[in-house]
Amino acid sequence: MELRKKRRTTQVSKSEEKDTAPVKRREITKYFDYSLVVIVIFLIGFGLVMLYSTSSYNALSEHNDSCYFLKRQATFSVLGLFVMFVVSFIPYQVWRRPSAIFFIISLITVFLVLTPLGISSHNARRWIGHGSIRIQPAEIVKVATILLVASLICKFGRRIKYIKSILFIGIIGFIGAVPLYIVTDNLSSCIIVFGITVIMTFVAYPKYWPYILGVSAVAAVVIIYLYHLFTTYDINQIDDTVPFRIRRMLIWKNPESSSDNYGYQTLQALYAIGSGGFFGKGLGNSIQKLGFIPEAQNDMIFSIICEELGLFGAICVILLFIMMIWRFMIIANNAPDLFGAMIVVGVMSHVAIQVILNIAVVTNTIPNTGISLPFISYGGSSVVFLLIEIGLVLNVSRQISFEK
Amino acid sequence: MEKEKTYNRKKIFIFSLATITVLILLIARLFYVMIIEHDYYTKLATELHERERAIKALRGEIIDRNNIPLATNITVCTVSVIHNQITDEEQTASMLSSELGISYEDVLKKVKKKSSIERIKTNVEKTIGDRIREYGYSGVKVDEDYKRYYPYDELASKVIGFTGSDNQGIVGLEVYYDEYLTGKSGNILTVTDAKGIELEGYRENREEPIAGNTLKISIDYNIQRYCEQAAYKVMTEKNAKNVIIIVMNPVNGEIYAMVNTPEYNLNQPFELTSEYLSEMQSETTSESETIDQNKTDETAETMTKQDMLNQMWRCMAINDTYEPGSTFKMITAAGALEDGVVSITDTFTCGGYATVEDRRIRCHKTTGHGTETFTETVMNSCNPAFIEWGRRLGTDRFYEYFKIFGLMEKTGIDLPGEASGIMHKKENIGAVELATISFGQSFQITPMQLLGAAASIVNGGHKIIPHFGIDILNEDGKVIQNLNYTTDKQTISKETSDTMKEILWQVVENGGGNKAYIEGYEIGGKTATSQKLPRGSGKYIASFVGFVPYNDPKVMAMCIINEPQGVYYGGTIAAPVIQNVFDNILPYLGMEKNNNS
Repeated sequence: MELRKKRRTTQVSKSEEKDTAPVKRREITKYFDYSLVVIVIFLIGFGLVMLYSTSSYNALSEHNDSCYFLKRQATFSVLGLFVMFVVSFIPYQVWRRPSAIFFIISLITVFLVLTPLGISSHNARRWIGHGSIRIQPAEIVKVATILLVASLICKFGRRIKYIKSILFIGIIGFIGAVPLYIVTDNLSSCIIVFGITVIMTFVAYPKYWPYILGVSAVAAVVIIYLYHLFTTYDINQIDDTVPFRIRRMLIWKNPESSSDNYGYQTLQALYAIGSGGFFGKGLGNSIQKLGFIPEAQNDMIFSIICEELGLFGAICVILLFIMMIWRFMIIANNAPDLFGAMIVVGVMSHVAIQVILNIAVVTNTIPNTGISLPFISYGGSSVVFLLIEIGLVLNVSRQISFEK
Repeated sequence: MEKEKTYNRKKIFIFSLATITVLILLIARLFYVMIIEHDYYTKLATELHERERAIKALRGEIIDRNNIPLATNITVCTVSVIHNQITDEEQTASMLSSELGISYEDVLKKVKKKSSIERIKTNVEKTIGDRIREYGYSGVKVDEDYKRYYPYDELASKVIGFTGSDNQGIVGLEVYYDEYLTGKSGNILTVTDAKGIELEGYRENREEPIAGNTLKISIDYNIQRYCEQAAYKVMTEKNAKNVIIIVMNPVNGEIYAMVNTPEYNLNQPFELTSEYLSEMQSETTSESETIDQNKTDETAETMTKQDMLNQMWRCMAINDTYEPGSTFKMITAAGALEDGVVSITDTFTCGGYATVEDRRIRCHKTTGHGTETFTETVMNSCNPAFIEWGRRLGTDRFYEYFKIFGLMEKTGIDLPGEASGIMHKKENIGAVELATISFGQSFQITPMQLLGAAASIVNGGHKIIPHFGIDILNEDGKVIQNLNYTTDKQTISKETSDTMKEILWQVVENGGGNKAYIEGYEIGGKTATSQKLPRGSGKYIASFVGFVPYNDPKVMAMCIINEPQGVYYGGTIAAPVIQNVFDNILPYLGMEKNNNS
């Protein structure tokens, strides 16, 4: 309801804008989406509290400082907020031209992982940098892909209605996504980058059928594949001979069959979530964070939120993300031009995909894959680049104009 | 500048709606896991988080008949460090190293180890533990625990036995009365983290331990101590393999002392005593010689050590059997008298040997004892005479007396691992076997079986069950259970018993047992010298069984000297040991010398 009303008013204002030339421009007020800023700051603040609660045990035992993770994350959050603030003042239009160059640079950073600059951690080579200063190139690729796809959509203009334009953009998304899987073995980021591209083209393309067809086809393939897996493998006999990704599918079906090894993390997360109840054990009272869930502050932080704050807390967090999506939608729909709208769509799809996949993974709704919860999970690169994206969105919102 | 189109807005709206829908579905999923399956996951999580920690129950003491504790508990400490809480590593390490006598480097290594808790030393004396606690260093933990302690080290070691690290009896009375002594361990259910470290602030489920009960035994510390000294003295003098001394009340079967030398230190039961250590060394050297200089590998060596330990822990008086020899003549005589096949006035003429079937069995006095009365045959311990008394008794009746005196079964003594005798099958007993049985050869019984049988011969014919346990006391020292070791079985009539007492008194007064004679005490007894198998090995067992006063026995004692060197006659070497023991313990037991006699 609210949406329609707003849309109508903006449309009216725009039509009037056309009629009444530059003189009236001075009378229109600039808009800034303070709601989004509040939501983001609240999420970051809440995230730091939960991060401290979740990580203090691990921090103390691994780094002899219970605030180790908190300090790092707080530093990156402050840095990110600063960058967000700066970006929100830079007219987003300036990013359109160099977007292709950004994209190429981001891909180069991915391949830098293979050079001595690359840093391995947790059996994966996904970072570049030196010492404690490290960046995850996947995060750069996400921002660069959003900018490039948005500018390509604008570049195609009317030709966007041709399916080959969509295919072209799809290939660009593919080029951004695949190296993340091949070079850094990061399937999650690969899926996210490609997902962002698909959703942006979905919004840009006038028709629905290719997407309905595509989603149906993917769903069919997944169902057939899973059926095949569960008939060929015995889900009660999961061992090393089963390939890694297939193993995760089998564990998803039956985490308790290998509770001591492969299914351990999934099952421990379920213990945490399940023992939460309506209002949880209270902030700081999780037991599962005490070494039972390995590195709970990373991808599994949502399960600790559930354990400590219960279903109530979990719904509050999800509501915050729903509000954020809502703000994105309003900004996107009122963006002064298509490029701005597409940037917001890109950021919206990024956040939406990660939130959905993260919660789905910790609740074992889908097979386990490492995806962090935006603004809350521990991770410097993630929070900084997400805030850069928010900065872009805020600049789009800044250029929305209302008539007084 | 390209403008947004209407369908773009519609599609953005659709995507937002789809996202929100999926998030709401995930909330539904959360509701399912968190509310509907809440109990299931909470149960699993609780099982994972809770650890059961046992609290040791205090083991009951073993006290002697005068309440002197023979097995008790002492408080020991376990010293550990918690790395995270230590403020000054070097200072802490140097304090611990000087107090505990461990090298500074070793302690420092443990102090610096980033583990949750690191154990520095266990079984630390309480005084040292208290001193370490007084330093007040943070991160140093001193936990108290109980440890079984035997105040008199080797005293009655083979009887008392010892416990394992889990408070469980392993041998001796400690295992026989384990159910009374162990008590019931309590436990604490605590919540722990993934490393098993207990978390504070969670309510613990605590079940208090119940301390074990005290066992009061019939051993008298002073008598046991004296007999032990006497046994060691004769063992050293005669260079014997081992010596057994048992002192018992022949009326109720309470054992005042049971010595099996060499004894071992109960506080260090896994350390071989010097006797076994030298034996093991000599054995391994001889072994390596025979196995063609093959290196004895470690397993073989540890096997030998375990065997040695088992040997060391053995209570020979009840775990091992022997040929009793002439002391057994008490039973032959009692049986023959009871059946009336001989009378006290019967005479026998000993020519130095007896011929049984094709065998000639010699008397120890090769020239023969000449004509002797029944009493004199016992006093002289004359083998040919006893062959005759045995023959008169006959196989069937003899076999019956074996049963009556309990020689075919265990005595029922309250110690584990009691051996039963080795006896011919009845149908295999021919004239020769019957003849040898009559003077205590060709079968084996335990020393305890013989003493038990002898007790019933002199106590009026009541069968007794030799035992140690008297009462079970609770923590406050109140008797909660009397241990009952009585039986109403009768072996021989009172008249026969009276006659036997008279005869056995004569053995000490004027016969082969005269070395046990003490002026002022009326002692009865019987000696024995038995040759160990194989015959002709030159190894003997000298023994003596005595009781006092002969007409109303209050104390009975037995001494067995295994493989003495030099003079090996029971009457010469075993009887004086009992004389010495009686001379010292009788006044202690309140039996004054009778100056009239």
